[in-house]
Amino acid sequence: MKCKIFGLDFKNPVFLASGTFEYGLIYRNVTNKVGAIFTKGITLEPRKGNPPPRIYEAACGLINWVGLENPGVRAFCRDVLPQMKKLKTRIFVNVAGFSPEDFMEIVDELGSRVDGFELNVSCPNVKKGGVAFGRDPEVCAEVVASVRKITKLPVIVKLTANFCDPLIVGQRCVEAGADGLSLINTLHAMAFDVRNKRPLITGGLSGPAIKPFALFCVNRVKDLGVPIIGMGGIMTGRDAYEFLLAGATAVSIGSATLRDPYAPLRIIMELKEFIGN
Amino acid sequence: MISRKLKVIRKTWYTQEIFGFEFDYPGIHPMPGQFFQIQVDEGIDPFLNRPISVASYKATRLLLIIKVVGRGTRMLGEKSTGEDVTIFGPFGKRFNPRKKKSLLVAGGIGIAPLHFLAEHLYSNKIPFDLVYGVRTTKDFILKKEMRRMCGKSLFVAEQGFARKETAVSVIRRMRMEDYEVVYSCGPKQMLIEMQKLKLPVPVYAFCEDFLGCGCGLCLGCAIMCKHEYKRICVDGPIFELREIDFEV
Repeated sequence: MKCKIFGLDFKNPVFLASGTFEYGLIYRNVTNKVGAIFTKGITLEPRKGNPPPRIYEAACGLINWVGLENPGVRAFCRDVLPQMKKLKTRIFVNVAGFSPEDFMEIVDELGSRVDGFELNVSCPNVKKGGVAFGRDPEVCAEVVASVRKITKLPVIVKLTANFCDPLIVGQRCVEAGADGLSLINTLHAMAFDVRNKRPLITGGLSGPAIKPFALFCVNRVKDLGVPIIGMGGIMTGRDAYEFLLAGATAVSIGSATLRDPYAPLRIIMELKEFIGN
Repeated sequence: MISRKLKVIRKTWYTQEIFGFEFDYPGIHPMPGQFFQIQVDEGIDPFLNRPISVASYKATRLLLIIKVVGRGTRMLGEKSTGEDVTIFGPFGKRFNPRKKKSLLVAGGIGIAPLHFLAEHLYSNKIPFDLVYGVRTTKDFILKKEMRRMCGKSLFVAEQGFARKETAVSVIRRMRMEDYEVVYSCGPKQMLIEMQKLKLPVPVYAFCEDFLGCGCGLCLGCAIMCKHEYKRICVDGPIFELREIDFEV
């Protein structure tokens, strides 16, 4: 299932989505078998993340409110990246800025030590940036253009579908120089505690619950002329194949790994049955 | 970590809402505090696995004790002897119990992981006593097994005995000088009250929570310890009680 995307060779089109496989270091034998890993969102400064509860189960999925916990780009480069470099897969860093300058600084710090960047303009769990950026096509274009100026590596934009049209935002990103689009990020979601009559969690919904909507969104942006990385509730090779049929060039596995860290290996095998080698 | 589809060798109902599964598990020998993630159903709903502490492990015979608290655990309770269950693990940091006179403090289903700790202490000839509190006298499990292994044991309940007591109210008037270490597992409120006692010996809390992955991938099970978030699943689930900030 070897493939060439963004001018790079990948051993297969099955990737690990940002945020659900840490930095790929816990289950290296899984990370080494996939086409690429997208790191947890990396910010300029370290972030503690949100107070608990951060996870709540929903029907066919879960709501998370982790809030971009990460060591910050400098500690990431110093402590994590050297270990990641030993992995036998492509490394894309999910870049989470709170201003266009943040995005530039993070990308600049990472330099050419990674294979590419995924600009996170779609995290629903932070007050600034995140989804507030992702909804605004002009802000997204500005972020892409500023990063484009300082790197020749592939720049992918992770789109949101929260109260906005990924087609409109995606188009502006491509015009501003994005090499690819990945979608969808989690969807705004809540759960309530009926006994205490107050919210239990407000966060992002992921898992098979969002798959039909994710397929629709991927299909909607398929003609923008750049590779699409499709994600949202992929549990099986059949699910992955559906995303390819919808117009994705590759797929990312997210929540499935929380249920079974080895799920990506099974999904690769199953996808092979559908598309051959 | 290895995932295994295992046959339930024996299923036992201990009370109306607490049951146990026994499996033949020839994998890595778990340590006290470690847990397995049980897949509720092969389908996608419920989506997440349920973290269940090891209650006993003897010669590859693994016992997991589960309390029915919601839909997932209720569905697990509907499985019978002979059925297959997929489990992942053991997860959690490998914790070596101290070789010192210990006090075990259990609240409710918190007795399950402490029973496994008791097996460990007993086989290593480390003396220990037990305080075990439950809501009503019908909720006691593993009473006989614990009595067999420990020195002094005290069983208290909020309802059913002449005297209304909780594990914490007992600890409050106990002579702690007799012990060098305390292990505690129970509801969060019990741990909070234990912490307020500021006992003069190290207290280790076995924490529980809703987990996402159970293996460090999702950062979903944060607990504030010494001013930074730790992950219950891989940094714990055993933490020094005084280091936990329950107010976060």
